[in-house]
Amino acid sequence: MAIVIRRLEGHHEVENFDCADDALNNYLQRHAWTNQEKISIGVSYVAVDEGAPRTVLGYFTLAMASVPRDAFPKKYVRGLPPYDVPLILLARLAVDRRFAGRGLGHALISEALRLSLRVADEVGCRCIITDAYRDRVSWYSRYGFVPIEGAAESGPQRMFLDVRTVRAALRR
Amino acid sequence: MALKTRKKRIEAPAIGPRRKAKFQADLAPAEDRSMRLLKEELQLTSNTDFLSDALALFRWAVSERKLGHRIVSESASGERRVLLFPRLERVAPDLVLPRIEIKWTGRELESLAELVSAGEANKPTDALIRAMRD
Repeated sequence: MAIVIRRLEGHHEVENFDCADDALNNYLQRHAWTNQEKISIGVSYVAVDEGAPRTVLGYFTLAMASVPRDAFPKKYVRGLPPYDVPLILLARLAVDRRFAGRGLGHALISEALRLSLRVADEVGCRCIITDAYRDRVSWYSRYGFVPIEGAAESGPQRMFLDVRTVRAALRR
Repeated sequence: MALKTRKKRIEAPAIGPRRKAKFQADLAPAEDRSMRLLKEELQLTSNTDFLSDALALFRWAVSERKLGHRIVSESASGERRVLLFPRLERVAPDLVLPRIEIKWTGRELESLAELVSAGEANKPTDALIRAMRD
């Protein structure tokens, strides 16, 4: 099986995608294409097998955001650059359960981080943010994401990865 | 040596077998030497074979960059170099992500401010290093 990661296209088959999480299945099946092509609030990339390049085995979604400087608590503003803080949101990442355990998650996050670095190099970006399910926090931590404190305990854990860390990894 | 071929009719006839296109290229002496050397190294005897192979390689490179893929060479020790070829960058897709808004709590913003204003970034983890190499 030779996995390739492509930008989501209209011909990709997403109907049977099943990562055992309704919200993530639903996003890919109902919203990812519309959000990408019509209202432009996220770009999705899919993992496919080169031998069956229409069937989606996993995906992730990226978007850009920023935090206005004046949104930060005043005592922290002094230490920040005098601009809004641009960031990339890794909004979704999921692997079809039938293909779990084959390194697809690693392939997807690798590509997501490479794309993020390209965006950072081209338009500027300070960090990568993701909202991780609580049981996936340790998986993201392996890649250097650190928890952002202050999230509701019942919801996902917001996590942070410095673009400089990703850039340093590329140089190793 | 100059690669002497003449550009004939580019467009294929509507009916009947396709004619082979011919090209003429004026090469500077250095380019000529370089081409001869390459032909020798690759054990190519004809200019046609040389052009055909070069075209196949270029076509592949263009298709990869059109998909937004980087072209990388890796040494035996694992050192990687990314091909930067200005003409290829013309076909690479623009990588502009849509912009959205994220809701933050006050405590999250404090935590984010601390992380963003850190003088030095964390060192990459082994998994992250592998991710950027794979």
